[in-house]
Amino acid sequence: MRLLAHAVLTARCEIQGGALVAERKSPTAVLREGPRALSEAQVREIEEADLGSVGGVDIDDVIEYVHKDLKSLPDFITLYRKYLKQRWDVYDLDFTQDKIDWTEKMSEEERQSFIAVSSGFHHGERQVEIELPVFMIGASEEEKLHIAAQIEDEARHTVFFDRFYREVVGLAGDGIMDILDASFPWVSETFVGPFGLLAYQADEVRRNPYDERARVRYGTNYFLWIEGVLALSVMKVTLSYARWRGFLPAYYAGFTATCRDESRHVQGGMRYLQDAVRKDPSMISEIHDTLRTILSLSGVASRRIYFEPLGWTEQEVQTLFFQQLRRKLNDVGIDLPPDLEVLLEQVEPTLAGG
Amino acid sequence: MGEPLFFSAQWADAVCGALTAGPSKEHRDGKLPEYWDYFELVKSAYPASWALGCRDLPAALGKCPAYLTVRWGGGSVTECQITGPDDPLDATYVLGMDYDGWRALHDGYDAQRTVMYRKILLEEGNLLEFFTTIYFFVECLAVIGTVPARRPT
Ligand SMILES: [Fe+2]
Ligand SMILES: [Fe+2]
Repeated sequence: MRLLAHAVLTARCEIQGGALVAERKSPTAVLREGPRALSEAQVREIEEADLGSVGGVDIDDVIEYVHKDLKSLPDFITLYRKYLKQRWDVYDLDFTQDKIDWTEKMSEEERQSFIAVSSGFHHGERQVEIELPVFMIGASEEEKLHIAAQIEDEARHTVFFDRFYREVVGLAGDGIMDILDASFPWVSETFVGPFGLLAYQADEVRRNPYDERARVRYGTNYFLWIEGVLALSVMKVTLSYARWRGFLPAYYAGFTATCRDESRHVQGGMRYLQDAVRKDPSMISEIHDTLRTILSLSGVASRRIYFEPLGWTEQEVQTLFFQQLRRKLNDVGIDLPPDLEVLLEQVEPTLAGG
Repeated sequence: MGEPLFFSAQWADAVCGALTAGPSKEHRDGKLPEYWDYFELVKSAYPASWALGCRDLPAALGKCPAYLTVRWGGGSVTECQITGPDDPLDATYVLGMDYDGWRALHDGYDAQRTVMYRKILLEEGNLLEFFTTIYFFVECLAVIGTVPARRPT
């Protein structure tokens, strides 16, 4: 049934040559393809796309783009200048077609799977927005610019989900917190693992803003784990579903633009961690200790999420997740001790991001 | 007589009973059995203690800061009592929350968000170690929130 729908959609898309999608491959194709090479033209397309054209960019290319500069990480001024060119207006999105897709075209199973994934993002974006300001205090002057930009990005991502939940899913409420309250029942109990830890780490940094060891532990959870692994993996799941089915065009455009923002966050975060370890090699133990706590939590699930309606199996999500972590660690040059390698093999993904 | 006073010795006794019994069946039914297996596994070997403080307890409920001290050992609660500002503070993890946060938790506010929104905060103890068993802590905090008590209006 789904294959048939897929074939029909493919044909329709080819006939129309629609702006949203030029190619219809399976959502999980990237797992078999492995890393892809981006041409200069593709990089330019990703970097320069505005909100009107970002819907035509392949999400797998954007995720590849995140890794493009990890081996020679850009400096914070470069990242800040990219931000100035790439920021987008979340109020320019028009969710009219998304509402039609959500209510008339998507099945109840698809909606439930989608919302189980996107609610982690709704709350995740809000959490990374409010926990970031304290990290700016102890940062270098150049990094302060990048963090200020990132705070604005995360605020915009929070509004993006607020609008999606109001205008497409149909949740009602006066303020931003009302909508967060309304989507919270879909958030898994294990969300408090990485995000509760981030909240407490932010408090640790608030009390001692220049404690570099506390900052490295915070940065490992925030930039490496939450943004670099959880967010990018799970973003890919909803975006490749939307692209595959040709649904939710404003969600696809806004969240692909969000993914491009995340590439700057991950690159900035990896730059911070790499610089910290180069300055003081003993900092690697703070990264390891943080990963040890995170990985020991990540093997626990409180709910079963059904990814199948979105075109994924849990195993495939897990594979994607490992790919994302390995690539970050390899590209930035972080080796793991044997006990962490063992823990890593037991991990299941938490559905969240920032 | 009715319900014990919030943050009283009788309330601490009731908390002890509730923690020993663990989360209710209705609460357990909403989550995967594997999750509760993990909870029981952590509980069976949990070696630490918590001092859960109320920073601004109303005078009608006692002197502040007051702490609900919970000590674990051998899979059960070995001590659960209220300690006041004049008692020695002896716990692996000292946490603090304003009375407003306690009141909200007691009125049913979500325990996960109580942690995530920093209503309750770790004031002493190793943060990374504390978080390796955070799901156990959060579920216990939820149980504590369900123990009936009278509060001054
Ligand atoms: Fe981010
Ligand atoms: Fe974000």
